[in-house]
Amino acid sequence: MKVYECCGIESVTKKVFCSSCGKEIVNETEVPDEGIVYSFTVIQVPPAQFAHLAPYTVALVQLKNSNAKITARILENVEIGDQVSLDSIVDGAYVFKKVNTNEAVY
Amino acid sequence: MTAVYVHGIGMTKFGSFEDKSLKDLLIEASREALKDADHPKIDAIFVGNFMGGTLSNQEILGAIVAHDLGLGYIPTAKLEGACASGGIALRQGVLSILSGEYENVLVVGAEKMKHASTATVTQFINTAMDQSTTEKEAGLTFPGFFGTVANRYMFETGAKKEHLAKVALKNRENAINNPLAQFQKPTSIDEIINARMVTDPLGLFDCSPITDGAAAVVLSSKPSSIKVRASAQSSGPTLMQDAVDLLSLPAVKISGEKAYEKAGLGPKDIDVVEIHDCFSMTEILSIEELGFFQKLEGWKAVEEGKTRVDGEIPVNTSGGLLSKGHPIGATGIAQIYQLVRQLRGNAPNQLAKQPKIALAQNLGGTGAYSVVHILERV
Repeated sequence: MKVYECCGIESVTKKVFCSSCGKEIVNETEVPDEGIVYSFTVIQVPPAQFAHLAPYTVALVQLKNSNAKITARILENVEIGDQVSLDSIVDGAYVFKKVNTNEAVY
Repeated sequence: MTAVYVHGIGMTKFGSFEDKSLKDLLIEASREALKDADHPKIDAIFVGNFMGGTLSNQEILGAIVAHDLGLGYIPTAKLEGACASGGIALRQGVLSILSGEYENVLVVGAEKMKHASTATVTQFINTAMDQSTTEKEAGLTFPGFFGTVANRYMFETGAKKEHLAKVALKNRENAINNPLAQFQKPTSIDEIINARMVTDPLGLFDCSPITDGAAAVVLSSKPSSIKVRASAQSSGPTLMQDAVDLLSLPAVKISGEKAYEKAGLGPKDIDVVEIHDCFSMTEILSIEELGFFQKLEGWKAVEEGKTRVDGEIPVNTSGGLLSKGHPIGATGIAQIYQLVRQLRGNAPNQLAKQPKIALAQNLGGTGAYSVVHILERV
């Protein structure tokens, strides 16, 4: 996914101006669709729009090779530090899944 | 130089009032504040409200208050900044007097929420987050933001759910002595920890409730015994994924620093505080951001009882949002109501030594707005 950068501040949000130097933000880089769980919550009391999904996990994912983070729905239960990767984009939501770190053994 | 003083305060009981409309609540609190101020001629009205349009199908609240109170065709405005709507309305009232435009101003905040379902209220509260983002579509809720913060805070500091519970317990114990509070039933750490989960790790008692209520203040350039020493405001990130530090609320920190600078005071000079404890986690973060305790050590202060009524810096002697209740637009003004009573010496949970300097901090969104006011007994 795309990350926008200026003055060392990286974000998945494309802002117009850099809050540090005031110049227009022009640097775009492509980073892998994977990262680690920085933190998470399990939402038990959903808004009406997501009532059919509850309970569901939302996590703040620290993207690989970047300072940027992204808020994503996660298909499984996770802990801080778990590796996750993009599974799909559903109705405008980034949905990540846990990477089975044991897979490499087989 | 012009200064601003508090002349009157008013507040409805917070709770569930099926038979009272949003307007009824606004008028009741306003009337009490005007009486307390001995009915000065009001030059303008500022209203704090968040969901009148969506939940009560009602706007033009400023003109309605002026009309129904019979104050004449004076200028009015409604201010919206999610849960900071009341604090922002108050600040606009202060600024309008400082500008020299008005002498006496009524500021009133209210919210009417209890008639709607929790799912509906949660949906509309989500309008306090940026709705045109992938973050919103991921299903992050307003409480979910603070749940995510709490999990990281516990991960980094070693704080436990029990420390969050201690914030909720303290505020409940304070609310028990406040007849205007929504929740006055005693509780226990066990009950708080084992309560139904709302958004992991925050349970029912960690989250401020849905509430009906209103609060009002009358401000004036004429001297009174309560002076507004500082009014300051900041904004902050509107998205969790854009927080540079998830365990920081920059809006709280910046609004606090600006207020201290304007007042020529620091955290050590403050005698009593009302903090925006929309969640137990938020109170811990904000006592750190306002400089009362070191960063990532607020939970230890809670454990040591430093924020209790008899502690070194009493926080939320009213019961806070968690137990006094959180009628969104009223909250920032209800904080002033409690602090003015503390300064006057007749508050619920009155401090043993009558305070001289008080600080109110009102938060909006997931840290999108923060307003700080410092009051002084003169």
